[in-house]
Amino acid sequence: MTLGDLVARHQIVISAGSGGVGKTTVAASLALWGALEGRRAVVLTIDPARRLATSLGLESLGSGERTISAEVFRAQGLAPRGTLAAMMLDQKGAWDALVERHAPPEARDRILTNRFYQHLSQSFAGSYEYMAIEQLCALAIVVDTPPTRHALDFLEAPRRIADFLDRKIIKWFVRPYFSAGWSALRAMNRTAGFLLRRLEQATGIAALAEISDFFSSMSGLFENFQTRIDRAHEILRAPGTALVLVSSPEEQVLGDAEYLSSKMAALRMPLKGVVLNRVHAEFRPGRRGRDEIGPEELEHVSALLGQTIGAAEAGELAANFVDYQALARGESLRIEQFRGGLPRGVPVVNVPNFSRDVHDLASLAGMHTHLFGTRAAA
Amino acid sequence: MIGAALDRRLHFVVGKGGVGKTTVAAALARLLTRRGRRTLAVEVDDERRLSSLLGASGTTGTPTPVAPGLAVVAVEGRAALEEYLGLIIPVKRLLSTIFSSRIYQYFVAAAPGLKELMTVGKIWYEATRQEGGRPAWDAVVVDAPATGHSLQYLRMPQAARDTFGAGLVQREAAKVVDLLRDARTTAVHLVTLAEEMPVAETLETYAQLKDPLEMPVGSVIVNRVHHRRFSAAALATLQETIKRAGADQRALLRAVCERAAEESGWSDINAAHLARLRAAIRDVPIVELPFLFVEEFDRAEVERLSRELEAAGADRAAVSALGP
Repeated sequence: MTLGDLVARHQIVISAGSGGVGKTTVAASLALWGALEGRRAVVLTIDPARRLATSLGLESLGSGERTISAEVFRAQGLAPRGTLAAMMLDQKGAWDALVERHAPPEARDRILTNRFYQHLSQSFAGSYEYMAIEQLCALAIVVDTPPTRHALDFLEAPRRIADFLDRKIIKWFVRPYFSAGWSALRAMNRTAGFLLRRLEQATGIAALAEISDFFSSMSGLFENFQTRIDRAHEILRAPGTALVLVSSPEEQVLGDAEYLSSKMAALRMPLKGVVLNRVHAEFRPGRRGRDEIGPEELEHVSALLGQTIGAAEAGELAANFVDYQALARGESLRIEQFRGGLPRGVPVVNVPNFSRDVHDLASLAGMHTHLFGTRAAA
Repeated sequence: MIGAALDRRLHFVVGKGGVGKTTVAAALARLLTRRGRRTLAVEVDDERRLSSLLGASGTTGTPTPVAPGLAVVAVEGRAALEEYLGLIIPVKRLLSTIFSSRIYQYFVAAAPGLKELMTVGKIWYEATRQEGGRPAWDAVVVDAPATGHSLQYLRMPQAARDTFGAGLVQREAAKVVDLLRDARTTAVHLVTLAEEMPVAETLETYAQLKDPLEMPVGSVIVNRVHHRRFSAAALATLQETIKRAGADQRALLRAVCERAAEESGWSDINAAHLARLRAAIRDVPIVELPFLFVEEFDRAEVERLSRELEAAGADRAAVSALGP
C-alpha cells in the first residue's frame, strides 16, 4: 500500500507523533491531497503554526469548520476536484461546550467553575478529537494530534477517561461523607482515619471536597460520556481509520516513534503508514564501486571547486557538504534500523528537510511528490 | 548574563519538545561541574535520557554520583509523595498499609496537581538540603518536561499556597514559591530553536514566567543555529560551474550545491527568527548554540555544547551589567 492508497481508502487518517516533528504540516498536506483527488476532506488541528493556520483560513480558535474557497486554491495554482475544510480544536472549549449542552442548568456553573473540572478539562489531551471524529466520520478526515511528546495520551484518551469515570470509583467519591469532611469514614476505620488526616494535611481538604462536588455535579453526564467514548474507540479501530506516524530521523525522536509504534500494536490501533520528516539526503554516487562520500573526500571536492572558486570558499563549501553527508549517514543508519522494527507492509516515506517554512497551500502541495511519489492528478 | 545566572543554585531548563532541551540541560550540568560546583542533575517523570547523556547507567530516587562533583537523580511525583509521607508518618508498617490501600490509590490518581506539587517539592528539598552545615549542592539542574507540562509543574506550588488554608501544606508551598521566585537562587533557562513555532512558544512561556509565575528567567538558549560559512557569491559561482562541468562531476557538484543552498536557507531562517526573539526579549541574554553535524549525538557533543555555552557566557559578561 502507498500513502495515496491509504488516503483514498480511509475515512479517517490520524497523524500522530512527538512534538516538533511536523505533524500538522503532514496532516494538512495529506488532506490537501485528498481534496485535489476529489474527496471532501477536512483537517482538524490543535495548534498549527500561525502562518499555516492563516493559509488554512483559521484565524482564531473554536471558529468552527472553514472551507477553503476556490479562489484561494486558484491563487496558489491549484484546482481541487473535491473540497478542503479546516478546523481548529480547542480542548478546553470542547469540554465546556459538552457541559453546556448536557448538564442541567443548575449544575452548569458549578461544574464550569470547579477547580477540579478545570484541571481535568485541561489535562485530558485528546479527548475532544474523539467527539469530533464522532460528528464528522462521514467525511475524509485528517486529524492532527496534540503536540505532546507523550502522543500516547491521544491514543489512550478514550480508555483513560473510561477508567477514570469507572463507576466504582465515582461511587466512592460521591458518597455523602466524602464531601462532609470524611468524618463518617474516619469513625468507621481507624487506619483510614489516620491516613485521611495526614492526606488532608498534605493536600488540603478543599481539593477533596471539590473532587467530590465535581463528581456529584457530573454524575448525570457520565452515561453520555461512556457512550461517546465507546463510539470513539470503535471508530479508532474501524477498518476506515488509519494511523500515520510522523517522526524525524533524530535519535531521540525515532526512539519515541518506535515506542509509539509498539504501543499502537499493543492497543490494536491500526498503524498504516510512517512519514519521516526533515530527512537529510545522502549523496551516493553509486559508481566507482562505492556508495559513500565521507570526510576523506573533502580534499577531492575542495580541489574540484577550487578550479573556479577561491580556495578558502571552496574549502568551506566542501566542508559544508561533508558535514551534511555525516548527518545524512547517521540518519540513514537509524532509519534503516527503525524500519526493521516496524510491522510488515507499513509504507515509510521520507520528506526532505526543506530549508524554508512550509505554510501555504502551494508548498503543502510541494510535499506531495515526496509523500505520494507524484503530484495530485488535478 | 548567562555568566551571572550560572552562579544561582536552582536551574530549570524548559522548552518545547524536539528543541534539544535535555541536551542543553546536560551541557549546563557539565559546565557547572567543570566550574567546581557540586551539581545535581534532575530528570523528571520517567525520562531517562539526561542521565544517559551524563554517563549514568540508570537513575533512582536517590542522588547517584556519575562523575566527580556530579550526581543524577530521578524525581517522580508518586515516589516523592511516598517519601514525603514517610517523613511525616515515621511508622513503616502503617505506611505500607496506607500505600496499598484503595483509598490512597484512588486519591493519588485523582487529586489534581498532587503529583506535580510533590515533584517540585522534592526538587526544592534537594535544592535547600543542608549537609554538614552547608548546602548539599551548589547547583541543581532540572531537565523539565515539555513546556506546557513544565508550566503545570511550576504553577502548582503557587496554586497550593493560594488554595489550601493555613496549615502545613500552605506553609511548605509558600516556602517553595519563595525559592522559585528568588532571582538570587533560581534561574529558568528557555531552550528554543530559531524557527517559527518554537520561538512563538518561547515568547509565550517567557510572558507566563514573568506574570503570573513571577519566576526569574536566566537566559534564552537558542539551539542548533546554522551559520553559513561561505558567501552567497561563492554559491552563485558554484551554480554556474555545474553547467560547464563534465557529466562525471555534475552529480557531485550538484549535491555540494544543494547542501550549500540548504545551509544557506537555514541560516536565513535562523537569523530571521533570532531577530524576532531579540526584538521581543531584551532583558535576558540570548545565547546561541551551533548546529552540530554529527552522525550520532553523544557525550562528546554534550561536552562540546557545554564549552560553547561557557564561551557564550564569557562573551556576554559585559551585558550582564544591565541587570535583569
